[in-house]
Amino acid sequence: MNKALLLAVKDVRVILSDKGNIFWVFGFPVLFALFFGAIFSGVGREPSGMKIAVVDEDESEFSGLYVSRLQSYESLKTVSLEREEAIDQVRRGKVAAAVLLKPGFGGGFGAVFDKDDPKLEIAADPARKMESGYLQGLLAKAQFEALGERFGDRDWMRDQVDSWRKDVAAATALGDKQASLFLNFFDSLDTLLEDVNDENFQAGLEGGILNVANVEVHRQREGPATPFQITFPQAMIWAILGCTATFAISIVKERANGTFQRLRIGPLGRAHILAGKGVACFATCSLVMCIQWIGAKAIFRMPIDNPLLLILAAACTILCFAGFMMFVSTLGRTEQSVAGAGWAMLMIMAMLGGGMIPLFVMPPWLRSLSHFSPVKWGIYAFEGAIWRHFTFIEMVGPCLVLLAIAITFFSLGVFMLRRTEL
Amino acid sequence: MIKVENLQKSYGKVVALAGISFEVNRAETFGLLGPNGAGKTTTINILCGLLKPDGGMVSLDGKTDPTLAAVRTSLGVVPQTLAIYEELSAIDNLNFFGRMYGLSGERLKERVTKCIEIAGLEQRHRDRVSKYSGGMKRRLNLVCSLLHDPPLLLFDEPTVGVDPQTRNLIFQTIEEMKSEGRTIIYTTHYMEEAQRLCDRVAILDAGKILDMDSVDNLISKHGGPTHVEAEFEQEPGDTDEIVRRVEGTNVRVQERLIRFETTQPMESLASLNKIGQRFRSLKVNRANLEDVFLNLTGRRLRD
Repeated sequence: MNKALLLAVKDVRVILSDKGNIFWVFGFPVLFALFFGAIFSGVGREPSGMKIAVVDEDESEFSGLYVSRLQSYESLKTVSLEREEAIDQVRRGKVAAAVLLKPGFGGGFGAVFDKDDPKLEIAADPARKMESGYLQGLLAKAQFEALGERFGDRDWMRDQVDSWRKDVAAATALGDKQASLFLNFFDSLDTLLEDVNDENFQAGLEGGILNVANVEVHRQREGPATPFQITFPQAMIWAILGCTATFAISIVKERANGTFQRLRIGPLGRAHILAGKGVACFATCSLVMCIQWIGAKAIFRMPIDNPLLLILAAACTILCFAGFMMFVSTLGRTEQSVAGAGWAMLMIMAMLGGGMIPLFVMPPWLRSLSHFSPVKWGIYAFEGAIWRHFTFIEMVGPCLVLLAIAITFFSLGVFMLRRTEL
Repeated sequence: MIKVENLQKSYGKVVALAGISFEVNRAETFGLLGPNGAGKTTTINILCGLLKPDGGMVSLDGKTDPTLAAVRTSLGVVPQTLAIYEELSAIDNLNFFGRMYGLSGERLKERVTKCIEIAGLEQRHRDRVSKYSGGMKRRLNLVCSLLHDPPLLLFDEPTVGVDPQTRNLIFQTIEEMKSEGRTIIYTTHYMEEAQRLCDRVAILDAGKILDMDSVDNLISKHGGPTHVEAEFEQEPGDTDEIVRRVEGTNVRVQERLIRFETTQPMESLASLNKIGQRFRSLKVNRANLEDVFLNLTGRRLRD
């Protein structure tokens, strides 16, 4: 074991003496985490508000009241424009929709409920149907709230009652009995508007027409707390891939340079040499993991749900890819051929396994394919320890898969190495 | 010390060794001389346990398994190609390989110092090997194999592509090792090297040993006659007498010049001297291993 450790120390020194290796092993994964962390930095946050254009062609007191209602909603960001410009902004995707208040919008109940010539129009982006539906709800809410405010105005109500009385008198289709019922109701309404004191009048209308109680909810977080909890598992995988590829290349480099032969001639077995490579790969990967962990905690304040499980996940993932390294190192006789074949295989694994793009943005069929990539299991194990709240039992599954892959590839690698030697 | 019996090895349909046998005595320097592809490196690789033979056996100091740690500790192999870490310094390389062979503490320090001295790298031993010249790398490559002070040394064409200075250093090192009583197997396709360094030489071609003996005996057996060309101080009067005195063939006398082929050049010249002939100049072209190889195979070593 002592000789395996000596070999490992030598390997680490040789690997770290190359600046290119240092970048691929240490620099690239951190850059990766930062880049994708920045891209996904909006994930998990509250929406910042839907941007809409408002066109007030009515310019009445009621339309002004209505627009001020819309402006008061946090979930909307309004901008006042002319009709053509508003529609153009929708077309160009600058705003989600344009709300158009036509002349006559403030003309009372008649204007509000006129089906033949609606005074409120919405020009919505066809690609944002969900937002359009959401907006219609908010517009209805604003309309009811504005009307509720209007009902508190006795003079406006009296004018409305006079107007309705004239309408009933003019309506020839109504029978005398029916007209009498309406006129009696309007008289009672007049009496109410005359006699009720201000306090009761306002109290009866408080809260508006559409009352929805807000229940205080403390949201329970199920997903990652920060985008770096998604990107750091990927960065850790990239660090391991970088180490793996570097060590695979170092094995074939030793074989091509003759140092592997010199070691084989020495009084140490093949097992010693391979164990040395494995230990060096494991140690370097672990060192990189530690640096990433410290960076994630200290700089990005990334919470880690279960550090012990993270260590277990890291150990199994490193073993998996150390086994893979053994296999890759036998795929060619030159550095170029091994580097080419190794990186090609690692890239495919990374693409399928969510090492480049998180699995949750992939289509379902691609997610099914990801089961065949060790990268997926590595990331899954890391996520389990970082934000998925895995129990130890839940962690056993991905770890067993990783170890099984490790044993398979290591055995294949040793078999092929023996075959090429003799 | 080393015994090889009916050693066979093939790579697919290519026969590398077709049943070779030889023995090397303790403190002897034994040469394997042959062109590229003759089977020299295959023999070395089998002797140090890197390759398994298809047939036959090797015995190193009575042990038939070269992969045993005890056997490998007694072996020092100088490979044909550079087998050192260019990313490390000379001293780091030596320390690393020394530890691999179980050296530590004072003994390791002592051996590393000695090897740096042999390689002539005292001034540069802390520099990265990648910054060394080709010759310096070769010298380091050589001493990495001597580090553990092995009694048996296998040199696999150690002078291929080296500069004259490094070649001389390698020769001096081997001669020093020889004088210390180490057993050496030296493979080469340079006949001058075999002639200079080896006590006995096996002529290897296409996986077969064509003959094996001391250099002198091989030349005597297969080298052909020595060509002598001499110039007398004065033109001889009786040329017939001169021809009679020479123990050789193709004797031609032309004015003051005489040319002949003989297996005993010194005796013939002494005989002419006895009848009063004085020489102004002498040119003796003795047969060498190149001639031996040519006569045995019909080809030159470097063909």
